[in-house]
Amino acid sequence: HRRLPAVIPTPPVSASPFPNPKSQYCCLSRNFSAALTPLLPVQLPSRMETHLWYVVPDEVKSAPLLSKYMELLPQSERDHVLGFRGDQLQKSALLARTLVRTTIARYQVDGHLDPRSLRFKRNIHGKPEVEWETKDGFCPPPLQFNISHTSSLVACGVTMNSLIGIDVEEKRRRTKNNILAFAKRYFTAHEVEHLNAIPDSELQQQEFIKLWTLKEAYVKALGKGFSSSPFNTFTIRVNTAAQESFCLPLNQASSGIAVETLDSPQNLTNNWQFALLELMGSHYVAICLERQETGGAGKAFPIKLTARKTIPSVEDELVSGTNAVVTIGGSVTQF
Amino acid sequence: MAAASTSSFIPLKPRPTPRGLSTIAVLKLGAPLSFSFRRPVLAPARLRISCVAKPETVEKVAKVVKKQLALPAETLVTGDSKFAALGADSLDTVEIVMGLEEEFDISVEEDSAQSIATVQDAADLIEELVRKKCA
Repeated sequence: HRRLPAVIPTPPVSASPFPNPKSQYCCLSRNFSAALTPLLPVQLPSRMETHLWYVVPDEVKSAPLLSKYMELLPQSERDHVLGFRGDQLQKSALLARTLVRTTIARYQVDGHLDPRSLRFKRNIHGKPEVEWETKDGFCPPPLQFNISHTSSLVACGVTMNSLIGIDVEEKRRRTKNNILAFAKRYFTAHEVEHLNAIPDSELQQQEFIKLWTLKEAYVKALGKGFSSSPFNTFTIRVNTAAQESFCLPLNQASSGIAVETLDSPQNLTNNWQFALLELMGSHYVAICLERQETGGAGKAFPIKLTARKTIPSVEDELVSGTNAVVTIGGSVTQF
Repeated sequence: MAAASTSSFIPLKPRPTPRGLSTIAVLKLGAPLSFSFRRPVLAPARLRISCVAKPETVEKVAKVVKKQLALPAETLVTGDSKFAALGADSLDTVEIVMGLEEEFDISVEEDSAQSIATVQDAADLIEELVRKKCA
Protein backbone atom coordinates (compact mmCIF):
# COMPACT_ATOMS: atom_id res chain seq x y z
CA HIS A 1 0.00 0.00 0.00
CA ARG A 2 1.10 3.52 -0.63
CA ARG A 3 1.23 6.01 2.18
CA LEU A 4 0.80 9.59 1.06
CA PRO A 5 2.01 12.43 3.23
CA ALA A 6 -0.81 14.80 4.05
CA VAL A 7 1.47 17.77 4.69
CA ILE A 8 2.08 20.08 1.76
CA PRO A 9 5.87 20.40 1.61
CA THR A 10 7.33 23.89 1.92
CA PRO A 11 9.40 25.02 -1.09
CA PRO A 12 11.61 23.82 -2.62
CA VAL A 13 9.62 20.71 -3.42
CA SER A 14 11.73 17.63 -3.68
CA ALA A 15 9.08 15.02 -4.29
CA SER A 16 5.40 15.43 -4.77
CA PRO A 17 2.72 12.85 -5.41
CA PHE A 18 0.89 15.39 -7.52
CA PRO A 19 1.73 16.11 -11.14
CA ASN A 20 1.16 19.84 -10.78
CA PRO A 21 3.00 21.19 -7.72
CA LYS A 22 1.99 24.71 -8.61
CA SER A 23 -1.58 24.04 -7.50
CA GLN A 24 -0.34 23.19 -4.01
CA TYR A 25 1.27 26.58 -3.61
CA CYS A 26 -1.91 28.24 -4.75
CA CYS A 27 -3.63 26.41 -1.92
CA LEU A 28 -1.00 27.41 0.61
CA SER A 29 -1.51 31.05 -0.13
CA ARG A 30 -5.28 30.74 -0.04
CA ASN A 31 -7.47 29.93 2.89
CA PHE A 32 -6.63 26.95 5.01
CA SER A 33 -7.37 26.07 8.56
CA ALA A 34 -4.91 27.98 10.68
CA ALA A 35 -5.00 25.35 13.36
CA LEU A 36 -4.64 22.24 11.22
CA THR A 37 -2.07 21.22 8.69
CA PRO A 38 -3.23 22.27 5.21
CA LEU A 39 -5.27 19.62 3.43
CA LEU A 40 -3.71 17.79 0.55
CA PRO A 41 -5.88 18.07 -2.56
CA VAL A 42 -7.16 15.02 -4.39
CA GLN A 43 -8.56 14.52 -7.84
CA LEU A 44 -12.29 14.28 -8.26
CA PRO A 45 -13.53 10.83 -9.11
CA SER A 46 -14.20 10.34 -12.80
CA ARG A 47 -17.76 9.62 -13.86
CA MET A 48 -17.21 5.89 -13.56
CA GLU A 49 -15.33 5.90 -10.26
CA THR A 50 -16.35 5.56 -6.66
CA HIS A 51 -14.15 6.84 -3.87
CA LEU A 52 -14.40 5.28 -0.45
CA TRP A 53 -12.78 7.08 2.48
CA TYR A 54 -12.74 5.77 6.00
CA VAL A 55 -11.45 6.60 9.46
CA VAL A 56 -10.86 4.17 12.31
CA PRO A 57 -11.81 6.12 15.46
CA ASP A 58 -9.59 4.00 17.69
CA GLU A 59 -6.59 5.20 15.70
CA VAL A 60 -7.39 8.85 16.35
CA LYS A 61 -6.32 9.34 19.94
CA SER A 62 -4.95 12.84 20.10
CA ALA A 63 -7.17 15.18 22.11
CA PRO A 64 -5.59 18.30 20.55
CA LEU A 65 -6.24 16.88 17.08
CA LEU A 66 -9.87 16.18 17.94
CA SER A 67 -10.18 19.73 19.28
CA LYS A 68 -8.88 21.05 15.99
CA TYR A 69 -11.42 18.95 14.12
CA MET A 70 -14.11 20.49 16.30
CA GLU A 71 -12.94 23.94 15.21
CA LEU A 72 -13.68 23.03 11.60
CA LEU A 73 -17.37 22.66 12.34
CA PRO A 74 -19.99 25.40 12.49
CA GLN A 75 -21.67 25.89 15.86
CA SER A 76 -24.75 23.90 14.88
CA GLU A 77 -22.66 20.84 14.03
CA ARG A 78 -20.61 21.18 17.21
CA ASP A 79 -23.82 21.26 19.23
CA HIS A 80 -25.01 18.19 17.40
CA VAL A 81 -21.78 16.31 18.15
CA LEU A 82 -21.89 17.31 21.81
CA GLY A 83 -25.50 16.17 22.00
CA PHE A 84 -24.33 12.57 21.83
CA ARG A 85 -23.93 10.80 25.15
CA GLY A 86 -20.42 9.85 26.03
CA ASP A 87 -16.99 10.31 24.53
CA GLN A 88 -17.11 7.40 22.11
CA LEU A 89 -20.35 8.46 20.45
CA GLN A 90 -19.22 12.08 20.34
CA LYS A 91 -15.95 11.05 18.79
CA SER A 92 -17.46 9.06 15.96
CA ALA A 93 -20.02 11.83 15.32
CA LEU A 94 -17.16 14.36 15.21
CA LEU A 95 -15.09 12.18 12.90
CA ALA A 96 -18.08 11.73 10.57
CA ARG A 97 -18.51 15.49 10.16
CA THR A 98 -14.75 16.00 9.90
CA LEU A 99 -14.39 13.26 7.30
CA VAL A 100 -17.13 14.60 5.07
CA ARG A 101 -15.93 18.21 5.29
CA THR A 102 -12.25 17.54 4.79
CA THR A 103 -12.83 14.97 2.04
CA ILE A 104 -15.11 17.20 -0.02
CA ALA A 105 -12.84 20.18 0.56
CA ARG A 106 -9.89 18.20 -0.81
CA TYR A 107 -11.62 17.80 -4.15
CA GLN A 108 -11.09 21.53 -4.47
CA VAL A 109 -14.27 22.35 -6.22
CA ASP A 110 -13.82 25.81 -7.70
CA GLY A 111 -10.37 26.00 -6.18
CA HIS A 112 -11.57 26.10 -2.58
CA LEU A 113 -9.86 23.99 0.00
CA ASP A 114 -11.35 25.20 3.28
CA PRO A 115 -13.48 22.53 4.98
CA ARG A 116 -15.01 25.18 7.18
CA SER A 117 -16.55 27.06 4.32
CA LEU A 118 -18.62 24.12 3.10
CA ARG A 119 -22.32 24.40 3.65
CA PHE A 120 -24.70 21.49 3.79
CA LYS A 121 -28.42 21.29 3.31
CA ARG A 122 -30.99 18.56 3.10
CA ASN A 123 -33.14 17.63 0.15
CA ILE A 124 -36.90 17.52 0.69
CA HIS A 125 -36.64 13.98 2.01
CA GLY A 126 -33.88 14.78 4.46
CA LYS A 127 -30.84 13.51 2.57
CA PRO A 128 -27.74 15.65 3.22
CA GLU A 129 -26.24 17.43 0.21
CA VAL A 130 -23.58 20.07 -0.34
CA GLU A 131 -24.94 23.56 -0.80
CA TRP A 132 -22.54 25.08 -3.27
CA GLU A 133 -22.10 28.82 -3.45
CA THR A 134 -23.96 30.28 -6.36
CA LYS A 135 -21.63 32.53 -8.26
CA ASP A 136 -21.73 33.82 -11.79
CA GLY A 137 -20.47 31.26 -14.21
CA PHE A 138 -19.99 28.64 -11.51
CA CYS A 139 -21.71 25.38 -12.30
CA PRO A 140 -21.58 23.15 -9.24
CA PRO A 141 -20.14 19.73 -9.94
CA PRO A 142 -22.52 16.80 -9.61
CA LEU A 143 -20.61 15.55 -6.58
CA GLN A 144 -22.55 12.94 -4.62
CA PHE A 145 -21.64 11.63 -1.21
CA ASN A 146 -23.00 9.53 1.59
CA ILE A 147 -21.73 8.82 5.11
CA SER A 148 -22.14 5.93 7.46
CA HIS A 149 -20.64 5.34 10.87
CA THR A 150 -20.49 2.96 13.77
CA SER A 151 -18.42 3.53 16.88
CA SER A 152 -15.57 1.61 15.27
CA LEU A 153 -15.64 2.91 11.70
CA VAL A 154 -16.57 6.11 9.91
CA ALA A 155 -16.91 5.98 6.12
CA CYS A 156 -17.74 8.33 3.29
CA GLY A 157 -18.43 7.39 -0.32
CA VAL A 158 -18.06 9.93 -3.13
CA THR A 159 -19.00 9.83 -6.80
CA MET A 160 -19.45 12.26 -9.64
CA ASN A 161 -23.05 12.13 -10.69
CA SER A 162 -24.12 8.71 -9.43
CA LEU A 163 -26.48 8.69 -6.49
CA ILE A 164 -24.73 6.76 -3.74
CA GLY A 165 -25.70 5.13 -0.47
CA ILE A 166 -23.30 3.42 1.87
CA ASP A 167 -23.69 1.51 5.09
CA VAL A 168 -21.07 0.05 7.39
CA GLU A 169 -21.48 -2.46 10.18
CA GLU A 170 -19.28 -4.60 12.36
CA LYS A 171 -19.17 -8.18 11.13
CA ARG A 172 -19.79 -9.49 14.60
CA ARG A 173 -22.76 -7.23 15.31
CA ARG A 174 -25.39 -9.20 17.14
CA THR A 175 -29.07 -8.49 17.15
CA LYS A 176 -30.87 -8.66 20.49
CA ASN A 177 -33.81 -10.32 18.81
CA ASN A 178 -33.79 -13.68 17.11
CA ILE A 179 -32.66 -13.17 13.50
CA LEU A 180 -35.49 -15.05 11.84
CA ALA A 181 -38.11 -13.36 14.01
CA PHE A 182 -36.60 -10.02 13.05
CA ALA A 183 -36.39 -10.92 9.37
CA LYS A 184 -39.99 -12.15 9.31
CA ARG A 185 -41.09 -8.84 10.76
CA TYR A 186 -39.00 -6.52 8.60
CA PHE A 187 -37.60 -8.32 5.54
CA THR A 188 -39.27 -9.96 2.55
CA ALA A 189 -40.25 -13.62 2.29
CA HIS A 190 -37.40 -14.34 -0.13
CA GLU A 191 -34.87 -12.91 2.25
CA VAL A 192 -36.29 -14.89 5.17
CA GLU A 193 -35.99 -18.04 3.03
CA HIS A 194 -32.39 -17.14 2.20
CA LEU A 195 -31.51 -16.72 5.88
CA ASN A 196 -33.51 -19.74 6.97
CA ALA A 197 -31.55 -21.92 4.57
CA ILE A 198 -28.29 -21.25 6.40
CA PRO A 199 -27.77 -23.93 9.05
CA ASP A 200 -24.81 -22.41 10.86
CA SER A 201 -25.94 -19.69 13.27
CA GLU A 202 -22.71 -17.74 13.03
CA LEU A 203 -22.91 -17.64 9.22
CA GLN A 204 -26.58 -16.81 9.46
CA GLN A 205 -25.77 -13.85 11.69
CA GLN A 206 -23.19 -12.62 9.19
CA GLU A 207 -25.57 -13.04 6.25
CA PHE A 208 -28.15 -11.06 8.15
CA ILE A 209 -25.72 -8.20 8.68
CA LYS A 210 -24.75 -8.29 5.00
CA LEU A 211 -28.39 -8.10 3.96
CA TRP A 212 -29.06 -5.31 6.43
CA THR A 213 -26.20 -3.17 5.15
CA LEU A 214 -27.21 -3.75 1.52
CA LYS A 215 -30.79 -2.76 2.25
CA GLU A 216 -29.69 0.33 4.16
CA ALA A 217 -27.33 1.34 1.37
CA TYR A 218 -30.14 1.05 -1.19
CA VAL A 219 -32.55 3.23 0.77
CA LYS A 220 -29.83 5.78 1.45
CA ALA A 221 -28.94 5.88 -2.25
CA LEU A 222 -32.57 6.46 -3.16
CA GLY A 223 -32.48 9.42 -0.81
CA LYS A 224 -36.20 9.48 -0.16
CA GLY A 225 -36.20 8.40 3.45
CA PHE A 226 -36.98 5.04 4.98
CA SER A 227 -40.71 5.54 5.07
CA SER A 228 -40.86 5.66 1.28
CA SER A 229 -39.11 2.29 0.97
CA PRO A 230 -39.83 0.13 3.99
CA PHE A 231 -37.53 -2.85 4.09
CA ASN A 232 -40.28 -5.33 3.40
CA THR A 233 -41.09 -3.72 0.05
CA PHE A 234 -37.89 -4.72 -1.71
CA THR A 235 -35.74 -7.84 -1.90
CA ILE A 236 -31.99 -8.00 -2.27
CA ARG A 237 -31.15 -10.85 -4.58
CA VAL A 238 -27.81 -12.42 -5.27
CA ASN A 239 -27.10 -13.86 -8.70
CA THR A 240 -24.08 -15.86 -9.68
CA ALA A 241 -22.62 -15.57 -13.12
CA ALA A 242 -23.95 -18.98 -14.05
CA GLN A 243 -27.45 -18.96 -12.70
CA GLU A 244 -29.83 -16.97 -10.65
CA SER A 245 -29.93 -18.21 -7.12
CA PHE A 246 -30.55 -16.57 -3.81
CA CYS A 247 -29.73 -19.56 -1.73
CA LEU A 248 -26.01 -19.07 -2.03
CA PRO A 249 -24.21 -17.12 0.65
CA LEU A 250 -22.94 -13.70 -0.31
CA ASN A 251 -19.33 -14.73 -0.60
CA GLN A 252 -18.66 -14.96 -4.28
CA ALA A 253 -16.90 -12.00 -5.72
CA SER A 254 -18.29 -12.73 -9.15
CA SER A 255 -21.85 -12.71 -7.87
CA GLY A 256 -24.15 -9.93 -8.87
CA ILE A 257 -26.36 -8.31 -6.29
CA ALA A 258 -29.62 -6.79 -7.42
CA VAL A 259 -32.68 -5.27 -5.91
CA GLU A 260 -36.21 -6.29 -6.77
CA THR A 261 -39.07 -4.11 -5.68
CA LEU A 262 -42.41 -5.65 -4.80
CA ASP A 263 -44.34 -3.45 -7.14
CA SER A 264 -42.42 -4.69 -10.17
CA PRO A 265 -41.49 -8.25 -9.28
CA GLN A 266 -40.93 -9.38 -12.85
CA ASN A 267 -38.30 -6.79 -13.60
CA LEU A 268 -35.23 -6.65 -11.46
CA THR A 269 -34.71 -2.96 -10.94
CA ASN A 270 -31.75 -2.35 -13.20
CA ASN A 271 -31.07 1.16 -12.10
CA TRP A 272 -28.99 0.20 -9.10
CA GLN A 273 -25.77 -1.68 -8.64
CA PHE A 274 -24.22 -2.92 -5.44
CA ALA A 275 -20.87 -3.73 -3.93
CA LEU A 276 -20.30 -5.56 -0.69
CA LEU A 277 -16.86 -5.29 0.87
CA GLU A 278 -15.18 -6.73 3.90
CA LEU A 279 -13.00 -4.02 5.43
CA MET A 280 -10.00 -4.84 7.62
CA GLY A 281 -11.52 -8.25 8.27
CA SER A 282 -13.84 -6.62 10.79
CA HIS A 283 -16.54 -4.68 8.96
CA TYR A 284 -18.97 -5.01 6.11
CA VAL A 285 -19.37 -2.03 3.81
CA ALA A 286 -22.30 -2.01 1.42
CA ILE A 287 -22.33 0.46 -1.45
CA CYS A 288 -25.31 1.13 -3.69
CA LEU A 289 -24.87 3.21 -6.82
CA GLU A 290 -27.14 4.55 -9.47
CA ARG A 291 -26.23 2.87 -12.70
CA GLN A 292 -24.79 5.36 -15.14
CA GLU A 293 -24.11 3.33 -18.26
CA THR A 294 -24.63 -0.25 -19.16
CA GLY A 295 -22.59 -2.64 -21.22
CA GLY A 296 -24.20 -4.92 -23.79
CA ALA A 297 -27.52 -6.61 -22.98
CA GLY A 298 -28.12 -4.42 -19.94
CA LYS A 299 -25.07 -5.64 -18.06
CA ALA A 300 -23.42 -3.06 -15.89
CA PHE A 301 -19.78 -2.20 -15.90
CA PRO A 302 -18.06 -3.22 -12.69
CA ILE A 303 -17.82 -0.61 -9.98
CA LYS A 304 -14.41 1.07 -10.14
CA LEU A 305 -13.44 1.56 -6.55
CA THR A 306 -10.63 3.52 -4.91
CA ALA A 307 -10.46 3.05 -1.16
CA ARG A 308 -8.40 5.17 1.19
CA LYS A 309 -7.98 4.93 4.91
CA THR A 310 -7.39 8.36 6.36
CA ILE A 311 -6.78 10.46 9.42
CA PRO A 312 -7.97 13.87 8.21
CA SER A 313 -5.13 16.35 7.84
CA VAL A 314 -2.60 13.78 9.02
CA GLU A 315 -2.24 10.91 6.60
CA ASP A 316 -3.87 8.84 3.88
CA GLU A 317 -3.27 5.29 2.90
CA LEU A 318 -4.41 3.85 -0.41
CA VAL A 319 -5.82 0.45 0.51
CA SER A 320 -7.79 -0.67 -2.52
CA GLY A 321 -6.32 -3.83 -3.97
CA THR A 322 -4.90 -4.86 -0.60
CA ASN A 323 -6.39 -7.37 1.79
CA ALA A 324 -7.77 -4.50 3.85
CA VAL A 325 -10.57 -4.28 1.28
CA VAL A 326 -11.98 -7.57 0.07
CA THR A 327 -14.85 -7.67 -2.40
CA ILE A 328 -17.37 -10.24 -1.24
CA GLY A 329 -20.30 -9.34 -3.45
CA GLY A 330 -21.08 -7.42 -6.58
CA SER A 331 -18.85 -6.66 -9.51
CA VAL A 332 -15.98 -4.46 -8.40
CA THR A 333 -12.57 -3.56 -9.73
CA GLN A 334 -10.30 -1.93 -7.19
CA PHE A 335 -7.79 0.73 -8.13
CA MET B 1 0.32 12.79 22.12
CA ALA B 2 -1.39 11.72 25.30
CA ALA B 3 -4.89 12.89 25.92
CA ALA B 4 -5.02 15.48 28.70
CA SER B 5 -8.07 13.96 30.30
CA THR B 6 -10.33 11.08 29.57
CA SER B 7 -13.49 12.59 30.94
CA SER B 8 -13.91 15.42 28.46
CA PHE B 9 -11.76 15.25 25.39
CA ILE B 10 -13.51 18.12 23.63
CA PRO B 11 -12.98 21.39 25.51
CA LEU B 12 -15.79 23.33 23.84
CA LYS B 13 -19.13 23.42 25.58
CA PRO B 14 -22.44 23.31 23.74
CA ARG B 15 -24.72 26.30 23.71
CA PRO B 16 -27.40 25.70 26.29
CA THR B 17 -30.83 25.00 24.86
CA PRO B 18 -33.98 25.22 26.94
CA ARG B 19 -34.99 21.75 28.10
CA GLY B 20 -38.33 20.48 26.98
CA LEU B 21 -38.83 23.16 24.39
CA SER B 22 -36.82 21.52 21.64
CA THR B 23 -39.86 20.02 19.94
CA ILE B 24 -41.71 23.31 19.77
CA ALA B 25 -38.61 25.17 18.67
CA VAL B 26 -38.11 22.72 15.82
CA LEU B 27 -41.60 23.18 14.51
CA LYS B 28 -41.43 26.97 14.61
CA LEU B 29 -37.99 27.61 13.22
CA GLY B 30 -38.15 25.15 10.39
CA ALA B 31 -35.63 22.50 9.61
CA PRO B 32 -33.72 21.31 12.65
CA LEU B 33 -30.00 21.09 12.13
CA SER B 34 -29.92 17.45 13.00
CA PHE B 35 -27.57 15.41 10.88
CA SER B 36 -29.19 12.08 11.25
CA PHE B 37 -30.52 11.38 7.80
CA ARG B 38 -32.96 8.82 9.04
CA ARG B 39 -35.39 11.27 10.55
CA PRO B 40 -37.36 13.51 8.23
CA VAL B 41 -36.75 17.22 8.54
CA LEU B 42 -40.38 17.88 9.28
CA ALA B 43 -42.17 15.36 11.46
CA PRO B 44 -45.87 15.90 10.95
CA ALA B 45 -46.59 12.68 12.87
CA ARG B 46 -45.89 14.60 16.06
CA LEU B 47 -48.63 17.10 15.35
CA ARG B 48 -51.26 14.42 15.03
CA ILE B 49 -50.80 13.02 18.49
CA SER B 50 -53.11 14.94 20.72
CA CYS B 51 -52.24 13.55 24.16
CA VAL B 52 -48.94 13.36 25.88
CA ALA B 53 -48.11 9.89 27.13
CA LYS B 54 -48.29 8.91 30.78
CA PRO B 55 -45.04 8.88 32.72
CA GLU B 56 -45.37 5.12 33.21
CA THR B 57 -45.34 4.61 29.45
CA VAL B 58 -42.27 6.81 29.08
CA GLU B 59 -40.63 4.76 31.82
CA LYS B 60 -41.38 1.48 30.07
CA VAL B 61 -40.03 2.82 26.79
CA ALA B 62 -36.89 3.98 28.57
CA LYS B 63 -36.46 0.47 29.96
CA VAL B 64 -36.70 -1.13 26.51
CA VAL B 65 -34.25 1.41 25.11
CA LYS B 66 -31.72 0.87 27.90
CA LYS B 67 -31.93 -2.87 27.40
CA GLN B 68 -31.41 -2.66 23.63
CA LEU B 69 -28.48 -0.28 23.95
CA ALA B 70 -27.04 -2.09 26.98
CA LEU B 71 -27.01 1.11 28.99
CA PRO B 72 -26.42 0.93 32.74
CA ALA B 73 -29.70 0.90 34.69
CA GLU B 74 -28.92 4.22 36.31
CA THR B 75 -28.52 6.02 32.94
CA LEU B 76 -30.81 9.01 32.84
CA VAL B 77 -33.28 8.47 30.00
CA THR B 78 -36.18 10.89 29.84
CA GLY B 79 -38.85 11.77 27.30
CA ASP B 80 -36.49 14.26 25.70
CA SER B 81 -33.77 11.70 25.17
CA LYS B 82 -33.04 11.11 21.51
CA PHE B 83 -32.45 7.54 20.41
CA ALA B 84 -29.53 8.56 18.22
CA ALA B 85 -27.91 10.60 20.99
CA LEU B 86 -28.05 7.55 23.26
CA GLY B 87 -26.17 5.60 20.62
CA ALA B 88 -28.96 3.91 18.70
CA ASP B 89 -28.25 3.38 15.04
CA SER B 90 -30.94 2.36 12.57
CA LEU B 91 -30.69 -1.33 13.46
CA ASP B 92 -31.05 -0.50 17.17
CA THR B 93 -34.04 1.72 16.45
CA VAL B 94 -35.83 -1.03 14.57
CA GLU B 95 -35.01 -3.49 17.36
CA ILE B 96 -36.31 -1.04 19.93
CA VAL B 97 -39.56 -0.73 17.99
CA MET B 98 -39.78 -4.52 17.88
CA GLY B 99 -39.24 -4.63 21.65
CA LEU B 100 -41.93 -2.01 22.16
CA GLU B 101 -44.36 -3.96 19.98
CA GLU B 102 -43.86 -6.97 22.22
CA GLU B 103 -43.99 -4.99 25.45
CA PHE B 104 -47.23 -3.24 24.57
CA ASP B 105 -48.75 -5.81 22.22
CA ILE B 106 -49.09 -3.36 19.36
CA SER B 107 -48.03 -3.18 15.75
CA VAL B 108 -46.08 -0.18 14.52
CA GLU B 109 -46.14 0.75 10.85
CA GLU B 110 -42.71 1.10 9.24
CA ASP B 111 -43.20 4.73 8.39
CA SER B 112 -44.32 5.55 11.94
CA ALA B 113 -41.26 3.76 13.25
CA GLN B 114 -39.12 6.07 11.17
CA SER B 115 -40.60 9.20 12.65
CA ILE B 116 -39.65 8.21 16.19
CA ALA B 117 -36.72 10.33 17.29
CA THR B 118 -37.15 10.62 21.06
CA VAL B 119 -38.41 8.46 23.88
CA GLN B 120 -41.43 10.77 24.13
CA ASP B 121 -42.24 10.22 20.44
CA ALA B 122 -42.26 6.48 21.03
CA ALA B 123 -44.39 6.76 24.17
CA ASP B 124 -46.93 9.04 22.49
CA LEU B 125 -47.18 6.74 19.49
CA ILE B 126 -47.62 3.70 21.71
CA GLU B 127 -50.44 5.26 23.67
CA GLU B 128 -52.14 6.28 20.46
CA LEU B 129 -51.89 2.74 19.10
CA VAL B 130 -53.06 1.20 22.37
CA ARG B 131 -55.99 3.60 22.50
CA LYS B 132 -56.98 2.73 18.93
CA LYS B 133 -56.67 -0.94 19.68
CA CYS B 134 -58.97 -0.73 22.68
CA ALA B 135 -61.45 1.61 21.03
